[in-house]
Amino acid sequence: MIERSAISNPKTHYGSGKKATKGFITQRATGAFNILATLFLVWFVVSLSGAADAAERIALVRNPLVAIGLILLIVSASLHMRIGMHDVIEDYVSKGPRNALANNANVIFAVLVAVVSILAIVKLVFWG
Amino acid sequence: MAPSSRPLSPHLSIYRFTLSMTMSIVHRATGIALMGGMLVLLLWLVAAAIGGGFFDGVNWLFGSWFGQLVLFGFTFVLFHHMIGGIRHFIWDRALGLDAAGRETIVRVALGCSIALTLLVWAVFVWFK
Repeated sequence: MIERSAISNPKTHYGSGKKATKGFITQRATGAFNILATLFLVWFVVSLSGAADAAERIALVRNPLVAIGLILLIVSASLHMRIGMHDVIEDYVSKGPRNALANNANVIFAVLVAVVSILAIVKLVFWG
Repeated sequence: MAPSSRPLSPHLSIYRFTLSMTMSIVHRATGIALMGGMLVLLLWLVAAAIGGGFFDGVNWLFGSWFGQLVLFGFTFVLFHHMIGGIRHFIWDRALGLDAAGRETIVRVALGCSIALTLLVWAVFVWFK
C-alpha cells in the first residue's frame, strides 16, 4: 500500500527526476484540460451531425471560439499522447537503437498530427 | 549511485487477471486507440479544408454504418480514458488505494464510461 510519504519522497524516483517530473506535471495538466476538451469534442461532433450541409459545418469551424477550442484540444491532446506513448515504449522496448527510433517516431507523429490539424483549421478560418 | 537501466514490464501471463489490472491495461489501450482517434479528427479537418467532393465523401463516410460504428467506438474509448484519467487524479491524492477502494473506484469508472457513452448516443443520436 502506497503512502503519501512514499509518493513525496524524491529518493523513490526511477530514472530522470527532472524529466520524469516535467512529464508527470505535463501529463496531469493536459489530462485535466482534456476533460474539458473531451466534452467540447462531443459537443462539436454532435453539432456537426446536426448541421444541414457542408457549408454549415465549415461555418461552425470558422467560429473563432470553436476554432480556438479545437486548436487548444489538438495541442493538449498531442502533448498528452506523446507522454503516454513514451511511457508505453519505456515499459516494453529496452534502451537502445529501437527505443530511440520508437521515441523519435512518437514525437514526429505527435508533431505532425498537431501541425496538419492546426493548418487545416487556420486555412478554414482565414480562407474558408 | 550510477543510474541503472530501467526494468521492462514482466510478461503479462505471470499475473492472475484482476479487474483493476484489466482496467489499467484498457486505459493504455484506449490511450493508444485515441491516437488513432486524432487521425479521425485530422481526416475530417483536412477534408473540410480541401472541400469539394472529397469533403462530401468524408461526411458521407461518417454518416454511413461503418462511420457511425467508428464514432460509437471513439465515444466509448474517449469516455473510458477520461474517466480512467479522473480515477488517476483520485489515486494521485493517495485516496482509495486499499483493496476495497480500488475495486469500488474501478467498478464505478467502468459503469460511468458505459453510462456516459449510452447517454450521449441516446440523447443526441438514437432518440433525438
